[in-house]
Amino acid sequence: MDKLIFVDYQKCVGCATCEMVCSLVHEDICSPALSRIRVVRYPTEASNVPITCAFCESPPCVSVCPSGAITKNADSGDVLINPVLCIGCRQCVQACPFGHANFNFARGTAFKCDLCGGSPQCVEFCWTEALQYVPLERALGEKREAVGRNILQSS
Amino acid sequence: MNDYPGKILEINLSTGSISSRAVEPDLIKQYLGGIGFNARILYDEIPVGADPLGEENVLIFAAGTLVGTPFPTASRTEASAKSPLTGQFGTSNSGAFFGTQLKTAGYDALLIKGTSQTPVYIVISDEEVQILDAAFLWGKECWETVDILEQKHYGAEIALVGPAGENLVRFASIENGRYDGWGRTGLGAVMGSKKLKAIAVKGTRGRKVHNSAALLEAVRKGQQLIKSASSYMAFTEYGTLNASIPYGKNKAISAHNFTLGTLPDWKEIGGRQIVDKYGSRHVACQSCIIACGHWAEIKEGKYAGVKVKDLEITPVMSFGATVGLNTEAIIKASEICQRYGVDMVSTGGVLGFAIELYKKGIITTEDVGFELDFGDDEAAFKLLHKIIDREGIGDILAEGTKRAAEQFANADRYAIHIKGMEIPMIDPRGRWSTWSLGMLTNIRGGDHLRCRNPVENLRYNDKDEEYMKERFGFKKPMYDRLDMPEDLKSKAIDLESDTVDIAEMSKWAEDLINLYNSVGICIRPPVMEKVGPTIIAEACRAFTGLEISAADLMESSERTWNLIKLFNLREGEEVDASKFPRRFYEEDIDGNILDEEKIQAVLEKYYQVRGWNGRTGKPDANTLDRLNLVDDLG
Repeated sequence: MDKLIFVDYQKCVGCATCEMVCSLVHEDICSPALSRIRVVRYPTEASNVPITCAFCESPPCVSVCPSGAITKNADSGDVLINPVLCIGCRQCVQACPFGHANFNFARGTAFKCDLCGGSPQCVEFCWTEALQYVPLERALGEKREAVGRNILQSS
Repeated sequence: MNDYPGKILEINLSTGSISSRAVEPDLIKQYLGGIGFNARILYDEIPVGADPLGEENVLIFAAGTLVGTPFPTASRTEASAKSPLTGQFGTSNSGAFFGTQLKTAGYDALLIKGTSQTPVYIVISDEEVQILDAAFLWGKECWETVDILEQKHYGAEIALVGPAGENLVRFASIENGRYDGWGRTGLGAVMGSKKLKAIAVKGTRGRKVHNSAALLEAVRKGQQLIKSASSYMAFTEYGTLNASIPYGKNKAISAHNFTLGTLPDWKEIGGRQIVDKYGSRHVACQSCIIACGHWAEIKEGKYAGVKVKDLEITPVMSFGATVGLNTEAIIKASEICQRYGVDMVSTGGVLGFAIELYKKGIITTEDVGFELDFGDDEAAFKLLHKIIDREGIGDILAEGTKRAAEQFANADRYAIHIKGMEIPMIDPRGRWSTWSLGMLTNIRGGDHLRCRNPVENLRYNDKDEEYMKERFGFKKPMYDRLDMPEDLKSKAIDLESDTVDIAEMSKWAEDLINLYNSVGICIRPPVMEKVGPTIIAEACRAFTGLEISAADLMESSERTWNLIKLFNLREGEEVDASKFPRRFYEEDIDGNILDEEKIQAVLEKYYQVRGWNGRTGKPDANTLDRLNLVDDLG
């Protein structure tokens, strides 16, 4: 998997449109608590940090899952939960180092980002471009270009 | 998970009872949500002549219909009660994240009745609602209170009052978290009188969406519309401060209690470049794609360390123009208002009034305890704290300019208010427009925020001799795109002479803003320019499943406006209450002065457009019949 949701923390203004869109798309419900992506707001410093799945190469959620409900696809890199196999033990929720994997009490199953099957809607509706779904090489390349421009301007 | 419509949560602080009931679908069809619910419910619940600071007053918070969705700017909650400042319908609108939590907890509105004997606060966590002891919070300033409650009630959004609300300052605000608030009409004093320190609300359930694909499509269209507005880029960059220099040029700022029209160094004090100097990050409310809030930080000097989300035109005009303070003192003034819980507009108005009284010799150093002057920040803040604590002369000023003026000889002329509420920023002598008339016709008293031309144009200010028209700068494509029924459009706008008919446009503008305040979206210019009833109806249908057309929405909004007018008339609003302060008719600024008779003629035309009696401003029986309000005519 060469694409990832790349977050520019400087650009996020904390509108949390991404949370509303995510829960709407996945659950037909508008509720930030049911969103895969979550925006952490630090209001006294006007900082906002969207947290989403890192799609780890060695995902703790996969290794800890006792029922084989969470799998990592070797080709695409996606890490997906099969709700039919999920036994609702919340081990993945506890194991996730980012606080991303979450639990739906109404359904009794865990949930996490599924990249909307390849077209993440949080990114689609992020008007600040704080979220981008791009190949790693491009995301890093753009970042390096911005850093380079700063170096040029200040040298 | 909750279906639409949600519930109304009712809490009686006298008895401690807590109950909730489903919203009748008919209430939504007739009144939508937000201010519409507030108008209907308060008209039915508040007895005529009730003391605004007594047990009979009812305080209501209603999140707009679209709040709790990703529809752009759908964050806003209307708070209303009978106003202790005006004695009429008190109402104020705020964004941030409170409404989202209320909505996702399952409630469309929160109704607070009665009065507690001891300080309490309310905690709402989905279905679980508690009234808790607030003795440990009483007397604390707002930011400290928010810190404590955020620790105790993780993830909750907090509405609260500061010491000013507790002390029943008649222009106290209800703060919405640390940096936002329901500022106008003194609702903080109502909450303080109920001994209610705070409301902490957390929702996890959310709302079932009737048609997700259609809602997502409406969100996409809404975002595109706002982004295509001519003012969009300017507003994402500088927010409301775009207006401050044009108004200074027009000699239309409230400088030194509305005596000067402008200030020599206005550009440096209040121009939009202060965003470049003090601002850093942009801050958004829920689902907003403008993020007009600017994080401001003072790095050095006597106010070093002050941080607020408030490089905005309201504090700049209230404290920079009315009181004459410099930029850093303006930022400090915002901080004081937010921490102690007072409305910035009325605060600036009361301070400007007091300073002018002092300069005119009506009040003296003996009365105040120290000297006062425009531009003296330390004296202004000392006086403000006396007001918040109701200490000495502060106890009189805490009553607002109208009541305070009654306590001093010949002070009335310097009290700049309409219907008891201090007016903000824009001096109509310097700039006569749709929103100038809107200050007179506003159902909550003196401000422009309930009537703005959907396509404001700051470049023009030359009024026609009869005050009937506003020159515009309208381009045909802009006219064509405006989401307004064609017959109305041709009545309100004359492309050939490039003018807007102020009376016709005012009704549309008021109904449109009232619609925004019903569905919970923001009145920032990029929204007003592009988001009309058609796209709002599309979003409402997709979210709620109710068959509502654009025309239904506008009619509902008009119904609410008329019902609030009936509320005010029932509370004794007088025929000649809709007047500017005497100063505007009798003292000119560089030749700019208002003609009372001509303004009366525009006002009467507006009444006719509304279907109200041209002389008295009372809604005609036909109009009330058309709006299903005939039973409410007392």
